[in-house]
Amino acid sequence: MAKPGMIIDTDLHPVPIHERVAEYLDEPWRSRYLRGDRGAGHPNYFNPNGVMRADSVTADGRRIEKHPETMATHFLDVYDIDYAVLNPMEVMEHCVSPDAHYSAAALSAVNTFFVEEWLPVDERYLASITIAFSNIELAVQEIHRLGDHPRVVQVLMASGSPFPLGHSYFHPLYEAASQYNLPLAIHPGLEGVGIAGSGGTAGFVANYLEWHTLLATSYMTQLVSLVVEGVFQKFPTLKFVFVEGGVAWLPAMMWRLDKNWKSLRATTPWLTRRPSEIIEEHFMLTTQPIEEPDDNRHFRQVLEMFKAEKMLMFSSDYPHWDGDTPDFAMRQLDSDLRDAVMYRNALEVYGLEVGQYAV
Amino acid sequence: MPSKSQVYVSALEELAVGESRMVEAAGKSIGVFNTGSRIVAVLNLCPHEFAPVCRGALGGTTLPSKPGEFIWGRENEILRCPWHGWEFDLHTGQCLTDRSKLRRYPVIIRDEAIYVEV
Repeated sequence: MAKPGMIIDTDLHPVPIHERVAEYLDEPWRSRYLRGDRGAGHPNYFNPNGVMRADSVTADGRRIEKHPETMATHFLDVYDIDYAVLNPMEVMEHCVSPDAHYSAAALSAVNTFFVEEWLPVDERYLASITIAFSNIELAVQEIHRLGDHPRVVQVLMASGSPFPLGHSYFHPLYEAASQYNLPLAIHPGLEGVGIAGSGGTAGFVANYLEWHTLLATSYMTQLVSLVVEGVFQKFPTLKFVFVEGGVAWLPAMMWRLDKNWKSLRATTPWLTRRPSEIIEEHFMLTTQPIEEPDDNRHFRQVLEMFKAEKMLMFSSDYPHWDGDTPDFAMRQLDSDLRDAVMYRNALEVYGLEVGQYAV
Repeated sequence: MPSKSQVYVSALEELAVGESRMVEAAGKSIGVFNTGSRIVAVLNLCPHEFAPVCRGALGGTTLPSKPGEFIWGRENEILRCPWHGWEFDLHTGQCLTDRSKLRRYPVIIRDEAIYVEV
């Protein structure tokens, strides 16, 4: 299959070398970080197959996702990817840790690590600023610290949160992100961890299969909360990127929300038009894990039910166990959507230009 | 086409602001409302799922506002369907959240009495 004009991967997962991250921390945090403290409330649902792909290893035994050089040669080069948004793993637990000061310090060090030690290595890398929920003032400070860096393209946080993201507690984040024209991305994996709510909204499920399937419910919750609480009336230029939260549920949720709004508009008088119109203007979705019904035409029909040509962006999730390669994702799409999904929408939402950094 | 007839509703002074009367005319159930500035008549049929819309509450509603702000207004001008709560502007018949409208009928005031033309 011919490559479209470009490929932009909106969800690539580097893992920092923690000993290097610690170099950016002062005491008392440095020794805690070095001794493996990944934030209070850390235990998570267990995937017996491992979350990281077993084959993400170089011939000389190095993990590919731990080094910017190997990530570039073993993934970006292989798939001819033009840009990749770095969403760091093994650190997002801090986003939902109740230990506010330590988590803010740790994530700040992680952010600096990627800006200092990954971005200069390859111009295809774009960085996210990961922030913690437990102290919004500190999170806002972090956005101000790095928000105007030309290759920082979004603020990253967990899709699981202590209460839904439309709540006014979070609004200072949106004000700060708007100031730098940065989208806010949410990423799954912390549901049921720390101060985040359970995966399924009916309570704590038993195992990883249930938990992973129900991650989509976090996104439904965040979508409805953000729209209904009037976040986009307060911050009209703000965009959210829903990373790895699924796609096919979106039209059904838009219909359901519109139907309820017709009856209950008076409870939220700032919603002066159908919520689905707000959704189509302010939300982006990433493709992976792309839904795979037996008959692929059914998935393509779902993409006709909302503005996929404006809202959908390719993501690989490499090197996670449930990733999609660019060629696989492309095959799931009608040809008239491919350019928009594989790169055009990402160019626009991240304010990139063709060839701006790419070598 | 049959000629239209005028159906007596009530004496004008008997329909206070915020009150309504139901009349049957030409096989239709029609609600007549006093919104304070007008007397209006609408078919007792919600265009959504055909509920008896005139059995809903007449009142005001929240006006467009900023997030977290609630401004009450349009008292006695908004009819709320008893089934799904759709709000209708009685002065236009327009639903506030959907393209559909209530069917309206001309109201005639003559000799201090209210008539609906059906």
